[in-house]
Amino acid sequence: MTMKKLFIIALIVTVASIISCNDVQRKPSNVYIPDMAYSRAYETYADHSNLKDAGINYTNLPVPGTIARGEEFPFPLAKDAAGDTTNYFASKKIKGPVDSLSKSEYTETERLYLINCGICHGAKLDGNGPLYKGGEGPFAAKPATLVGDAKYEAMPEGQMFYSVMYGKNLMGSYASQLNRKQRWQIIKYIKLKQAEGKAPVAVANATAKN
Amino acid sequence: MISHRSTTKTIILSTIIFLSFSFGNIAKAQDGKALFSQNCAACHAIDKRLTGPALLGVQDRWPDQKKLYSWIKNNQAFLKTGDAYANNLYNEFGKVPMNLFPNLTDAEIGAILKYIKDWKPAAAPTVGANTPAPEGDSTLLFGILTLILAIIAFTLMQVNSNLRKLSADKDGEAYPEPVPFWKNKAYIAFVTIVLFLVGGYFTTKGAIGLGRNKNYQPEQPIMYSHKVHAGINQVNCLYCHGGAQDSKHASIPSLNVCMNCHMAINEYKGPKFYTEEGAEVDGTAQIKKLYEYAGFTPGKPWDPSQAKPIEWVKIHNLPDHVYFNHSQHIKAGKVQCQTCHGEITNMDEVKQFADLSMGWCINCHRETKVQFKENGFYSIYEKYHEDLKNGKIDSAKGITVEKIGGTECQKCHY
Repeated sequence: MTMKKLFIIALIVTVASIISCNDVQRKPSNVYIPDMAYSRAYETYADHSNLKDAGINYTNLPVPGTIARGEEFPFPLAKDAAGDTTNYFASKKIKGPVDSLSKSEYTETERLYLINCGICHGAKLDGNGPLYKGGEGPFAAKPATLVGDAKYEAMPEGQMFYSVMYGKNLMGSYASQLNRKQRWQIIKYIKLKQAEGKAPVAVANATAKN
Repeated sequence: MISHRSTTKTIILSTIIFLSFSFGNIAKAQDGKALFSQNCAACHAIDKRLTGPALLGVQDRWPDQKKLYSWIKNNQAFLKTGDAYANNLYNEFGKVPMNLFPNLTDAEIGAILKYIKDWKPAAAPTVGANTPAPEGDSTLLFGILTLILAIIAFTLMQVNSNLRKLSADKDGEAYPEPVPFWKNKAYIAFVTIVLFLVGGYFTTKGAIGLGRNKNYQPEQPIMYSHKVHAGINQVNCLYCHGGAQDSKHASIPSLNVCMNCHMAINEYKGPKFYTEEGAEVDGTAQIKKLYEYAGFTPGKPWDPSQAKPIEWVKIHNLPDHVYFNHSQHIKAGKVQCQTCHGEITNMDEVKQFADLSMGWCINCHRETKVQFKENGFYSIYEKYHEDLKNGKIDSAKGITVEKIGGTECQKCHY
């Protein structure tokens, strides 16, 4: 009799422990002293939607037209309205502030290119990055062949900047991922690579000089 | 005025294209695929609406082939003929002007059209290679076995004591009535000790685990697979989490970063993937969820002002009394993301890899050598640089994070 009872108790305990054992931890654990764990200040990922209700008039964005110290001057052209291409063509005349890249700048810009651009335009700037893979990859449209296509070799820096800043066709804007200087530097990097494709010696000299 | 502008546009465009053809490599053979890839693929896919319409069946949509050819060569001039179909098409695609191709010969256009006509969708990729292997939880099995063995041992002991009593009765010997186990002092002592040990173990473990979240794996609003993005498609971590190199936070990407790729990628064709519970995930449905947040309809221009932010659940949280800075680790310290976040490229659903406890931080700071040479960030440690040069500090051992103050309390707590 006792045996039977014991066995049933053991069985219930086992089953309960199996059921309660869920490997996937979907909820965070409890904390000790919550007021030291959770920020009283508004942190980056806190809910900011109720600031106004709390009487806090705070806007995340700087006043339009603000330029940070040491930052490049803003691009003077606005984005074209859909179907319009006036500013896209006007952008050809705009000259970039980056004339050359020093050795360390070149390495850094190459790193940024590989992170942000290489995924589509390819590490060799051949328009065949891992997302396109000659049409095998998930990206349906062919990215621009930056080196080897006369259209892009002839494209002025300003127009390239326009495309990087506002996006062009299926390419999105990279203004949120790269700051102005980085964008101009990447365009310089592309131009250097294009020149390298034509005359490898000249660029080697140009980069060594810096 | 407008027509004047578009003539200028036409001239500029055609100059560019003329130049591109005179200097670029002119396709000699009638290779439709190469021609398509070179001239059309930037804006057109065969079975998908991109910047321009999907081209499958384009010849059926243009009954007059002559018109189609002149449209391809110079669409701006063709639009002016007032052709209704062409003008509707132009308006439907937001008046984005198609490039001009005055240099394409009829034979080349024919080759492209033939390539489009003969095109067959690629066979679905063979999948099933990465079905999650059933993980044997041996701890539970051992636990059950131990429990069963314990019950058997207990039963046998009871049986043994009963049998002894029986045999004693048979022999006519006086055998004391067996003490029931709940009154047996040895049993009581044993159970107390076991309860104390087990209870103590779990209490301690629970207390240490307060605020620690190793293996925390919340459900996200969209079943986003890091394995598909960072693993299979080789998107760099910093493409989306660019904040990691410039700021305290690695930053969760905003919708426009998603849409950089997903304007064109609107279906999932890769290998199957699963939630942590083992349910199969429909990748295309997840992309549709993204479009709902973004307010985007495939094939139409995207208006980012219609987007609603996705409320991702942050996984790696440090208590407020600890300061941590990503850029310090990524940029100055040159630590790989995977060191603290684990094999993200293999995780469909991200789970917290490290326990992010203080012991874990301190341990790494004691063991990790900082990259002292060719790193402008550490140039102010002149004495260490000198000692390294003189050989006072073994350069093989190097300078650990601890040596430059990485275990001082106020480095992280202030």
